[in-house]
Amino acid sequence: MRAWLTRWGRRYGALMRNAWLVDLQYRAAIVLWVLWGVVEPAVALGIWWAIARAGPVGGYDRTDFARYFFALTLVNQLTLAWDSWYLDRWIREGELNFRLARPLHPAHEAVADNLAYKARTGAILLVVWLLVALVWPTVRLPVAPARWALTALAVVIAAAMRFFISFTTGLLAFWTTRATSIMELHAGLSLFLAGRIAPLALLPPAVASAAGYFWFPYMLAFPVDVLTGAAHGTATIVHGFVGQLVWLGLWIGMWWVAWRRGIKRYGAVGG
Amino acid sequence: MSARRAPRVLRVLGALWRLNVAEELQYRANFVASVVGTLFYLATALLTLALFFRHTTSLGGWDYWEVVVLLGVFNALSGVVEAVLRPGIGQLAEQVRSGDLDLVLSRPVDAQAFVSFRRLDVWRFTDVVLGLTLAAYALFRLGHPPSVSASLAFVVALGAAGVVVYAIWVALMSLAFWFVAVENISVLFDALFEGARYPVTAYPGALRFVLVYLLPIAWTTTVPAGALTGRFGPVTAAAAAAVALVAFVLTRVLWQAALRRYTGAGG
Amino acid sequence: MNAPAISAEELSKAYQVKVRDPGLGGAVRALLRPRYREVRAVQDVTFRMERGEIVAFLGPNGAGKTTTLKMLTGLLYPTAGRAQVAGFTPWGGGPAFKRRIALVLGNRQQLAWDLPAEETFRLNRAIYDIAEGDYKARLTELVDLLDLGTVVDKPVRQLSLGERMKCELAAALLHRPDILFLDEPTLGLDVTAQEAIRRFLRAYRDRYGATILLTSHYMQDVTALASRVLIINRGRLLYDGGLDALIARIAHTKRLELVLSSHVTRDQLAGFGTVLELDFPNAVLEVPREHAAATSARLLAAITVADLSITDPPIEEIIQRAFALGGAEPVERTA
Repeated sequence: MRAWLTRWGRRYGALMRNAWLVDLQYRAAIVLWVLWGVVEPAVALGIWWAIARAGPVGGYDRTDFARYFFALTLVNQLTLAWDSWYLDRWIREGELNFRLARPLHPAHEAVADNLAYKARTGAILLVVWLLVALVWPTVRLPVAPARWALTALAVVIAAAMRFFISFTTGLLAFWTTRATSIMELHAGLSLFLAGRIAPLALLPPAVASAAGYFWFPYMLAFPVDVLTGAAHGTATIVHGFVGQLVWLGLWIGMWWVAWRRGIKRYGAVGG
Repeated sequence: MSARRAPRVLRVLGALWRLNVAEELQYRANFVASVVGTLFYLATALLTLALFFRHTTSLGGWDYWEVVVLLGVFNALSGVVEAVLRPGIGQLAEQVRSGDLDLVLSRPVDAQAFVSFRRLDVWRFTDVVLGLTLAAYALFRLGHPPSVSASLAFVVALGAAGVVVYAIWVALMSLAFWFVAVENISVLFDALFEGARYPVTAYPGALRFVLVYLLPIAWTTTVPAGALTGRFGPVTAAAAAAVALVAFVLTRVLWQAALRRYTGAGG
Repeated sequence: MNAPAISAEELSKAYQVKVRDPGLGGAVRALLRPRYREVRAVQDVTFRMERGEIVAFLGPNGAGKTTTLKMLTGLLYPTAGRAQVAGFTPWGGGPAFKRRIALVLGNRQQLAWDLPAEETFRLNRAIYDIAEGDYKARLTELVDLLDLGTVVDKPVRQLSLGERMKCELAAALLHRPDILFLDEPTLGLDVTAQEAIRRFLRAYRDRYGATILLTSHYMQDVTALASRVLIINRGRLLYDGGLDALIARIAHTKRLELVLSSHVTRDQLAGFGTVLELDFPNAVLEVPREHAAATSARLLAAITVADLSITDPPIEEIIQRAFALGGAEPVERTA
């Protein structure tokens, strides 16, 4: 057991070190990506702020909107997954071959990549939020360790879920050249159903409840609500975590099937 | 031999474009993919608008169909960006890095024109068509078709917007000469352009200040859309044209300074 | 314990490729009623390699070299036949198998582009679970053998092609694999770098008894490195044996390379053989192999010549002829 831990600790240490160093080389480009990630919620906040001038909208007043979108920006940055894009490239451009010839599942490299990137960009956004909170009290959140612990848990599960969704979609490149289009379709849906453009409470009720039948709320809206405190009460929180775990499990299952089938197909037709 | 020959740069570009178009037309799948993709984004944008308008009756004084006109204009401008600017001048950073720019500079054509327009992503012009169609439909739903002067003002304003967007790209890409290592400078434009999705007046105070005075991107969609719906008159359109001219000249100066530095230092 | 390091038996790989008529009608037909055509990339390839052999795999592009390599490393599974590498069946070999082999493929992407090669070495150390002491020792040895001292701490993108290839090899061999699969390891390199790599591969084999299968277009790789040649074309193995024997089999002619002392006409030379080249003072004649010696004697008697040498046609040409053998003949196997 000890040996197993040391081995995997060393492997992840090395993988993350590599990823961190590469990100360091691209730090300027990464800042721009983070900026791009901030603009969308900023514009949405701007619009809702204007709409809410006369009074609360769907139970959200200006303060609520501000908190929601700041929380959303941070949580999104910590959970977003872009793996389908480079996985698609790996498969189609032969970059999967040398990875398959190593005694390490390629997914580990992807996970380490995610961890390094999110540590870096999450830290940036956290600092930005703290600075903004200094001058704009509206976006301050109470210091509540219990809430933050729950948020951390929800964020980790959401990040894992989005990772498996993205990875599985990328694996579709074993079968189609349009894997990235499918990911963009998913991104388009999640714009509404995961709460990126507005809190789910503001969607038409039919749409919001339909979203609840899928994984969308659990991958973003739920952790955000835990952070802002909009999700309170044991029942809501438990329901949220259960939903997260169920969908995480389902997506891990889908990923596993896609990987096995995909590798078999790769072995049949090559890459 | 009564016809005057077009300036060399146009001839060169014309030849390049013919080749380009011939290549691209082979890929009919790209056409379908392009149209489907754009329709998807338009649907998403319309649904977003519908969501906003579920909770309000106007955005910054603009009602629903007016904002849809603006959305159409936004899409048309995006089409120009994707068809002409991103594949053209958007590749500058990469060309600097790969040394391709040196080849360009050795040719007897104006470098800015050449780099800017050498490649077209032909199928993205469908975005322009779709955007303008959407705007036309929204006008129809608004119930008052634009007058002749409004239409002219629109054309001028749209052209001016195109020039301003181009100028912004030139300015950003000139930065590539100084910040060669930043491979995704074009992302800055995408981030900026997000602010042009909605009428300028829809944004609250501080944000509006930024989008209107600091980074005047919001005007590129608000003015043409406003001209079409009759909010702005010919005077505004003329002002837009003036701004476009200034922007073009300023960024041309910036470009030439950047180029001088590049050839002087790099060689 | 004399199992061969690599053994392939009737290894075959066939792909089903969709047949599509051109035009819109064809596209629709292909959608509704797909027709397939079988492409046989590799057909009944059979050969064995003992431990410590270096074998060169030759063939034109698309002959099936890379496909065979991929089947031997487990990236593709064969549609027929069997393969055994290091005692494992490659497809489904698992981590234990992967630790015994090294694969350096065409696009050579292993090294992290923006980081020094050192970082990739460190990463491979962790991936292959190499003990610290072993790692240090092997790294020193590889850096020494490949002359990488000044190069490992520079970002890979700043290295020359030759330096990059050497670093790729070092990265691939840190775990001291028994069996190396190299796809065109010297492609695009300058002569010095090519020779350095050939020297290194020989040294590595001599020191560790590694088995090396490499594909190549360069005859020097074959002559300097390989004891045996496998020639493949259109998926079929055409020849398996030593290079000298191949030349003797296929090359029915010899070349007389002359340095002339005085001018001669083309017609004068044509009396001795086919004139391939006449550019005073150099000339090249082609004569039937069995007459080479006699013809040389006659020529020396008739024409004043400063120098004469009898050579084989360029190996490239010989190989090209071998490629053209086609599938009809049985495989030539010479010791």
